[in-house]
Amino acid sequence: MFEKEDFKTRLKIANSKLKEREAAEAGKRGLFMGSAFKLGTELVAAVVVGTIIGFILDNWFGTKPWLIIIFFFIGSVAGMLNVIRTAIRMQKED
Amino acid sequence: MSTNPMHQFNVYRIGPEVKIAGIDISFTNASLFMLISAMVISLFLFLGTKEKKLVPDMFQLIAEMVYNFIAKMINDTAGPKARPYFPFIFSLFMFVLFCNMVGMLPYSFTVTSHIIVTLILALFIFIAVTVIGFLKHGFKYLKIFVPSGVPKLLLPLITVIEIISYLSRPVSLSVRLFANMMAGHTMLKVFGGFVISLGVLGGWLPLSFSVALTGLEILVAFLQAYVFAILTCIYLNDALNLHH
Repeated sequence: MFEKEDFKTRLKIANSKLKEREAAEAGKRGLFMGSAFKLGTELVAAVVVGTIIGFILDNWFGTKPWLIIIFFFIGSVAGMLNVIRTAIRMQKED
Repeated sequence: MSTNPMHQFNVYRIGPEVKIAGIDISFTNASLFMLISAMVISLFLFLGTKEKKLVPDMFQLIAEMVYNFIAKMINDTAGPKARPYFPFIFSLFMFVLFCNMVGMLPYSFTVTSHIIVTLILALFIFIAVTVIGFLKHGFKYLKIFVPSGVPKLLLPLITVIEIISYLSRPVSLSVRLFANMMAGHTMLKVFGGFVISLGVLGGWLPLSFSVALTGLEILVAFLQAYVFAILTCIYLNDALNLHH
């Protein structure tokens, strides 16, 4: 009988520890989602800015389709650069 | 009551129409909720700093916690040189946080779910950081567009990429906050609409979803304010401590 009680208390302690860990992980998951949003917008923003610059320059120089295509790709590269930089910064924070 | 989930984002005029030089500057519900947020912040900090007790009461404790949180964040990301900008970053964080949180109340209006509001905030930060960079370093600030150790042949391309990357900062900063707030609030309203249309029999599932989503939205509201402030610190760090 005594041993059974002892086991029950130990089980209770272990369960509460497990719950604590799960709660901590759930909190972290929210943070991860925040970082995922961060990386996504980082990529998209650079592509959009690059394309807009290409569009404006095209209108200036009258080279209709070419600069927008070139700047779209340069913008994508800049976006990837942004993502890599943000990821490096995130790893430093941890 | 409209069932359109986008109805909550309508901006309408409160009171008389005011026009100066063809620009409509009437008082709208957006201005009202900005004012409410600013007043709630002022009230909260007033209560927190009214009597400086040795053993703090609730408001004083929260105010001190927020102060320490921001001070530590600035110190960690931008170093001691960024201390003079503490008031700005503190106000920015509090404003975004309270606009997000006030928007979580039923029947309220979320100011930060409009791209124009977040874009103006982000553009102000972008221009301020650029001006600070040029003031501190002069034309040497342009060095951030020219990373060291790059072959001469690639340098023009890299410079263009760096400039686009720099210009994308206000866009990503504003779109992130705006998209998160708008998507979350639309989702809440869509699930709320499901509860009504499915009635007593089937409405319980979307209802439980919307309870969970409300919790998630409060987390997002805090997280986005934090991200907005920390990115401002990071940009400020680039301008203050030139290292390339």
